[in-house]
Amino acid sequence: MPEIRVTPLGAGQDVGRSCILVSIGGKNVMLDCGMHMGFNDDRRFPDFSYITRNGRLTDFLDCVIISHFHLDHCGALPYFSEMVGYDGPIYMTHPTQAICPILLEDYRKIAVDKKGEANFFTSQMIKDCMKKVVAVHLHQTVQVDDELEIKAYYAGHVLGAAMFQIKVGSESVVYTGDYNMTPDRHLGAAWIDKCRPNLLITESTYATTIRDSKRCRERDFLKKVHEAVERGGKVLIPVFALGRAQELCILLETFWERMNLKAPIYFSTGLTEKANHYYKLFITWTNQKIRKTFVQRNMFEFKHIKAFDRAFADNPGPMVIMPGYCVQGTVGHKILSGQRKLEMEGRQVLEVKMQVEYMSFSAHADAKGIMQLVGQAEPESVLLVHGEAKKMEFLKQKIEQEFRVSCYMPANGETVTLPTSPSIPVGISLGLLKREMAQGLLPDAKKPRLLHGTLIMKDSNFRLVSSEQALKELGLAEHQLRFTCRVHLHDPRKEQETAMRVYSHLKSVLKEHCVQHLPDGSVTVESILIQAAAHSEDPGTKVLLVSWTYQDEELGSHLTSLLKKGLPQAAS
Amino acid sequence: MDPECSQLLPALCSVLADPRQPVADDTCLEKLLDWFKTITEAGSSLLLLQENPCLLGLLCHVLKPQDLSPRVLSFSLRLAGMLAAQEDCFQYLQGDSSLFVASAAGQLLVHILGLSLQGPAEGHPGLQTGDWPVCAQKIVSHIEESLRSAATPQITQALNVLTTTFGHCHDPWTQVLWGRLSPLVACLLEKDPVPAAHSLVDLLLSVARSPVLSSSSSGLWETLAQTLSHLSPTQAGPLALGILKLQECPQVLRAQAFAVLLQPLTCVLEATAQAPGLLDSLDGTGGASVTVDTLLPSKAACVGLLCRTLAHLELLQPLPQRPSPWPQAPLLGATVTILRLCSGSATPTSDAGGHLCAFLVGCVRVQRAALDFLGTLSQGTGPRELVTQVFAVLLEYLTSPDSSPTVLKKAFQATFRWLQSSPETPGCSDLDPHAHLFLRELLPVLPKRLCSPCWEVRDSGLEFLTQMIGRWGGQAGFRRALLASEVPELTEQLLRDPESYVRASAVAAMGQLSSQGLRVTPASPEHPGGQQKSLLAELLHILSTDSEGFPRRAVMHVFTQWLRDGHADVAGDTERFVARVLQVASQDLDWEVRAQGLELALVFLEQTLGRPSSHCPYAVTPPVAAPPSSLAQALRPLCRVQLFEFAFRALFDCDRPVAQKSCDLLLFLRAQTASYGGPQGSGSVPEVASVEAALQRWQAGDQGQPLGYLEPEVVVAVLRSMDLEGLRGALAESSDRVEKSPQSLLQDVLATVGALGEDEADCY
Repeated sequence: MPEIRVTPLGAGQDVGRSCILVSIGGKNVMLDCGMHMGFNDDRRFPDFSYITRNGRLTDFLDCVIISHFHLDHCGALPYFSEMVGYDGPIYMTHPTQAICPILLEDYRKIAVDKKGEANFFTSQMIKDCMKKVVAVHLHQTVQVDDELEIKAYYAGHVLGAAMFQIKVGSESVVYTGDYNMTPDRHLGAAWIDKCRPNLLITESTYATTIRDSKRCRERDFLKKVHEAVERGGKVLIPVFALGRAQELCILLETFWERMNLKAPIYFSTGLTEKANHYYKLFITWTNQKIRKTFVQRNMFEFKHIKAFDRAFADNPGPMVIMPGYCVQGTVGHKILSGQRKLEMEGRQVLEVKMQVEYMSFSAHADAKGIMQLVGQAEPESVLLVHGEAKKMEFLKQKIEQEFRVSCYMPANGETVTLPTSPSIPVGISLGLLKREMAQGLLPDAKKPRLLHGTLIMKDSNFRLVSSEQALKELGLAEHQLRFTCRVHLHDPRKEQETAMRVYSHLKSVLKEHCVQHLPDGSVTVESILIQAAAHSEDPGTKVLLVSWTYQDEELGSHLTSLLKKGLPQAAS
Repeated sequence: MDPECSQLLPALCSVLADPRQPVADDTCLEKLLDWFKTITEAGSSLLLLQENPCLLGLLCHVLKPQDLSPRVLSFSLRLAGMLAAQEDCFQYLQGDSSLFVASAAGQLLVHILGLSLQGPAEGHPGLQTGDWPVCAQKIVSHIEESLRSAATPQITQALNVLTTTFGHCHDPWTQVLWGRLSPLVACLLEKDPVPAAHSLVDLLLSVARSPVLSSSSSGLWETLAQTLSHLSPTQAGPLALGILKLQECPQVLRAQAFAVLLQPLTCVLEATAQAPGLLDSLDGTGGASVTVDTLLPSKAACVGLLCRTLAHLELLQPLPQRPSPWPQAPLLGATVTILRLCSGSATPTSDAGGHLCAFLVGCVRVQRAALDFLGTLSQGTGPRELVTQVFAVLLEYLTSPDSSPTVLKKAFQATFRWLQSSPETPGCSDLDPHAHLFLRELLPVLPKRLCSPCWEVRDSGLEFLTQMIGRWGGQAGFRRALLASEVPELTEQLLRDPESYVRASAVAAMGQLSSQGLRVTPASPEHPGGQQKSLLAELLHILSTDSEGFPRRAVMHVFTQWLRDGHADVAGDTERFVARVLQVASQDLDWEVRAQGLELALVFLEQTLGRPSSHCPYAVTPPVAAPPSSLAQALRPLCRVQLFEFAFRALFDCDRPVAQKSCDLLLFLRAQTASYGGPQGSGSVPEVASVEAALQRWQAGDQGQPLGYLEPEVVVAVLRSMDLEGLRGALAESSDRVEKSPQSLLQDVLATVGALGEDEADCY
């Protein structure tokens, strides 16, 4: 029985370390290869030993697909390809391929430099890993091998983020990665075909949230920043997610321009600056507005925002705005969870005196958006990843109720198995098709039609042909199958006369059929042959021998029942 | 456990035991386990349970059937197993739908089994399972039941438990266990298809590797032989490889295993009608050979099996226990044939060959695997005509416009390995004529690759070139061929490649070219008859202006190497060179560039203080400084290049490895100065004080004014007054050590509980 199997090694009922194994049509695909911000040892990476207990990963996996450049989706990639030893192809979009190494380098820097880790992947490994990448365009069908094909769709979220359709034969799975169903200031909204996959694997970060209008949040944000600056204060916004930095830069830049503000805005050099270069380069991936204004002015060439210099790093003012989630084990997490005293290095305890604001600028689809995407793709079933169990539970029920499809939410290491109906392709002969067309009915995808023919199985191929062609191809002679039946009639007359009576009776009853009386005394109606014979024991009874081919079965039975009723009395 | 954590623990346990309380994220649970592990390792886990009854409460609580989240359940199981490693108790659980829970439960079973038998069976190796403790008997009958089961997952679980047991424990009781269970395991082979074949292979190999079991079980080799013949070719491959890797094993079984491994290649050779001589030596069994139709029936099967076979043979080739004689020639023949089938250059004459060709043509997966194996085969020799074929097929791949970037990279790697292994002409240390001929054809191909629109290809080409120059840069034949090609010129152009990775590789290649005196300086129209910009100036320009870190790091590596080798451009005015480089490097935003700057400083320091450094035999030898007579004299050049300003600033660098490296350098220097007599840091007091004040300001994060020229005496005085050891200790601690503490972890878990549900977790 063919089936699709899905096992999350990461992102199963949690957020971080996205890594989902999919087996479809005998092919094995790994979706994303992320790291977990919360760990400092090997557990930050998915436990790849569960994939294959013996044998090499390269033999087991047909390909790896990376949805976007965030580290919880690609951070384990160099480890996987250069240290664990996966040597097969890795697919991602062009912007992801360009920006991925920047983030991986930064991640390496934090791990090696700040945390002093040995045995971390090297810059050379990052490069060697990126060399295994096959970059894809949106909506381009990429043939991984003869049977497996993948196709990328725009996902919003961050530059280059894509949803992927994975297809083997008639079976398909769509993996959304992270996506956003509403356009923001620099990216468009996610979109997908009505591709009716067997399974849609969707992120569910905001499974229970219906987000307020983004405009309100932005106004709120700008108001807070403005007020703090007006008071002569400073605002520190630690934007750690690439992509969000660009979004907030555009937001602030436009506001500063409109309000004619003079206070300087700085962003830290390094990551954002490097990434800006690629945002300028891949302008086609941004939203329509940015692309339109691009000719006059590139939105990523900021006027008010300058590179940050270490010299400005004196006391960072009275407010900090955290624009997203902070993982356990970070100062950000402590501040957000309300701890007002922080122990710093050297047993020094600092009091948190500044105002702390949490404002979500995360670019994920909310519950409405997720439902919208499910509606758009029309999958046969849905599987939730990249979210919290409790919230998933809620969304699962909602999806099952609204779309009447099954919805799964496996934990990490748990396998979901979906049986799929086997699809057997059958070729059809031109002759047969032409004959169907001759009946004047045009093919209509919505109205299945019954087609008669002979199914030939040869060289593990199936073909439907007309029976004549089948006979010819197989070198077989046609056998006629005839049904026969005896009907007893009470008629003392001679056989010839009985036959004559039968003929005239049928002639009068079956007006639309061709009824003939043959010279040898037998009667035919189409292919049906009727002969009258004397009864061996009873001279007052005649036996009618009726025979017909299977093509005229209906008429044959009709005629027999007719004859069984007897002949009308002739006026004698 | 410190009292603060003890106080937090009960609250934590009640949160975990409450199914209504969601646990924020399971990294916390993992970290909690880490912490408990350190505690139990340091002391008694019984004591831990006695002092913290809440833990026992938690463990008892999770055993009750309830709606507990799998993550808390798996956490508790693992905690229980951890505690059980010292004390015995606890129930077991297996067969959960989650891989992680099932695996944790399996490991727990192994632990309990081992523990329960540690005492009783140790003294009496002859003790039969019937006399084992009840707990162990229960586990054994559970495993037996699972092995008899019709459900594959259950069989897999049982096999995995046994594999782990025999892999970890070599006590005599394992012999009794295997003796009892091996008939059941052998029964699995009678089923068609063999269930849980992968796990079965793992188990049999772990039994064969166990010194206790392999020596005693007489039926083991028969079972292995039987398994080899029962499994499908794909499943049998790993088993065959495992058998061949065994230190001791009957020769007949090894021959059988090798035949299984070679079967697909035999098939290829047969289908392509190779010389029968090759076939005989490959087909070890001499029995009826399998045909392409049965062994490689479809494209997917053919590609998969060939890739696996090539990978297995690649692993086997370098091992001392590989089969002998090693069929080097047929393996080379088969690999070359596969590569030709993939490229479409083979012309099969038989039907079977035609099928293979249709399956393999253009198949990147097989190409990669075959090129990897071909590279490994370079470690052996082969008949001349086969080696010619190897070079021909490599050239074909390097030339072909159809070769994908990953395939090209592997083709470059294999080529380098083959060139490296080709015998050198006796008398003259040049490439042998054979390889030389190949090189003459290869060098015209390289420029095309260096101009490829794919950065991956340009980069692989440059990496290959750098390797080649490093190996043969000094040899006349290679030099002539290289100089006659466009390669050096193109390499120089790639210093301005749009892709930073390529620029970095071009820097490394140019560094090598220049070191070997292979840099061409043609009179270009822009510099009519004049000197082209020196490479040193060009690289300095890259170091100070390139927007990406990789090329700048590459420049620092080249410079360090040049200084070490006494490169002509450097040896002219070493002090000026070092001063320039350190000045630029000190301002670099990339910590690796600054760290590499310290490496360069260390080389200079060693050279100045009269330490001989390793020289490249072809480079101009720098004047070796005679050991300076006094310390002041020794330090003066270091002062002139402002090495101390650079090192002192680096000492307070915001990037820890830079500070650590500088600390090491200064400690080394201080140790060196101690070996000299002379001035004991008698610098003028005000000057020393002002330097110390500047250092304090730097430590506080102030950039401040440069120190300017420092007298050696001042440097020595400052060095001796600094607490470098203390600084080194402080630097050894990671920046997140406070957030990593167990107390911080417990606080975080508890802080999140209340807040959860209101705050949205919106990672990225």
